[in-house]
Amino acid sequence: MTESMAADQPRIAAPPALDTSARQQNVRRRVLVYAARLLTLVLFVGGWQLLTATKVIDPFFFGQPSGIVSRLRDWVEHGTAYGSLWLQIWITMREALQGFAIGVAGGVVFGVLLGQVRFLADVLGPYIKAMNAVPRIVLGSIFVVWLGLGSASKVMLAAVLVFFVVFFNAFQGVREVDRNLVANVRVLGASRLQVVRNVVLPSALTWIIASLHVAFGFSVIGAIVGEFLGAQKGLGLVIATAQNNFDPDGVFGAMLIIALLALTAEWLIGRLERRLLSWRPPAHTEAGAT
Amino acid sequence: MKSDTLSGNNYQAPGSARTEGAGIELSGVTKRFLTPAGTAFTALRDVDLRVRAGRFSAVVGPTGCGKSTTLTLVAGLDRPSAGTVRVSGQPVSGITAGTGFMFQADALLPWKTVLGNVAMGPAFHGASKKAAQAAAREWLRVVGLAGFEDHHPHQLSGGMRKRVSLAAALINEPSILLMDEPFGALDVQTKAIMSNELLRLWDQTKPSVIFVTHDLEEAIALADQVVVMTAGPGTVKAVYDIDLPRPRGAVQEIRFEPRFLELHRQIWESLREEVERAYARTAAPREGGRS
Repeated sequence: MTESMAADQPRIAAPPALDTSARQQNVRRRVLVYAARLLTLVLFVGGWQLLTATKVIDPFFFGQPSGIVSRLRDWVEHGTAYGSLWLQIWITMREALQGFAIGVAGGVVFGVLLGQVRFLADVLGPYIKAMNAVPRIVLGSIFVVWLGLGSASKVMLAAVLVFFVVFFNAFQGVREVDRNLVANVRVLGASRLQVVRNVVLPSALTWIIASLHVAFGFSVIGAIVGEFLGAQKGLGLVIATAQNNFDPDGVFGAMLIIALLALTAEWLIGRLERRLLSWRPPAHTEAGAT
Repeated sequence: MKSDTLSGNNYQAPGSARTEGAGIELSGVTKRFLTPAGTAFTALRDVDLRVRAGRFSAVVGPTGCGKSTTLTLVAGLDRPSAGTVRVSGQPVSGITAGTGFMFQADALLPWKTVLGNVAMGPAFHGASKKAAQAAAREWLRVVGLAGFEDHHPHQLSGGMRKRVSLAAALINEPSILLMDEPFGALDVQTKAIMSNELLRLWDQTKPSVIFVTHDLEEAIALADQVVVMTAGPGTVKAVYDIDLPRPRGAVQEIRFEPRFLELHRQIWESLREEVERAYARTAAPREGGRS
């Protein structure tokens, strides 16, 4: 577009100087944002450290950034009370990922099934709503009784939490499928299964993938809470122990580790989203507009 | 001619065995819908309509007179509440075999490429992926979109998307082609180009066409017969034979011919009544509310 305009009316085309100045402005703005972010972090952590060091707030209750760092270093060098730190992280992540996989698979299958079969949706709808209203975290203690202190009870809790998030999104996604698209492929000769594969699933995928961001957070919560309620290994147990020992630095340290893991997972899901939904028209970002 | 160009690939379109278009016959068709409020809404009442095999029929009528409903009944996407719909003498049950449908809105799958969209028809009829894609490539060339195979629909202009839809609807060489205001959203120039394109392609395979539109000029320029429907509940008010000679040439020029103007005047007289009646119905309650 800009090329053809430049060819037709070379005098009116934007001079290159204007272009580079717009780009410079963009870069400057981005640098400013990063600098402000860094400043926020420094103010927060520095303030925390300063206030606890001067005993304005009590480090016994609120922990201390320097204490958290030394606690993390201690864990890395000498391990936790239940074995090395990496083992705890691995155990918790494995539970979360297994629960995530089971919950997503179940949610998608049931969501698509109920979205497609009106009768099933009408029959089971109220029960699913009722189960969703139950505070499911409480189920964790029942799962510990059923499945023991091993990882099975944590996987189960994570899966249950994930299932409902994904299920409702998949169900809604299937319901929102454009009827025109379905009619079109039916006229072209698609069987029911072909309609699901070619239209319903790709269309619901936007909804399902959006739910994965939230769902992964829930799977980590499920694993941690499960370990909190009774376990032999895992980050949740580390947190519970730190709490019982009046060790806020340990609690915050473990929280920091979990946050980093969740952010990494979030980033990976974002990558997956971009790859699977590459057919979508690109969103107009601020950077793209200039 | 079409079969010549397509003989190179091994996909045999399901409709191509048939000689020419199939006749369409609606007799005493009534269609009622249940509104969300629970009351019945009559979209069509006692519709009798015949389209002879291989003929181009245009249906005009005011907004909401059940034109689109007629098409879904012929395609087998929906069932009439009363009366029968026959295609080639057979009552319609399930999706009507050998149908091409072009919708008012874009019905292309946004997650499939242009090639993937057009190749769906053969693929659903059991063609191998390779054969389906070869046929799709050929049809994209026919509608003038060679080189755009790997684009996604959102990357194309409205007119180009309509070309893709046209190729997708024609690839199975349907014996009936149903079109629901297919060019309604296009600008005037693009619409004229697409109309010419449609006539050219129709001439090659001669399916029976029902072309729904609210543009009377478009209807007369394209069709062999123009069906005027009444304001809802829709029924057939009158059928006009369009005796303009074929091939018609450019649709932009035919509208200045004396015979065209004569037909337009006649049909508009009949159509205007219905349009005014439909308009009065929507406008009246608003005025009543104001006073």
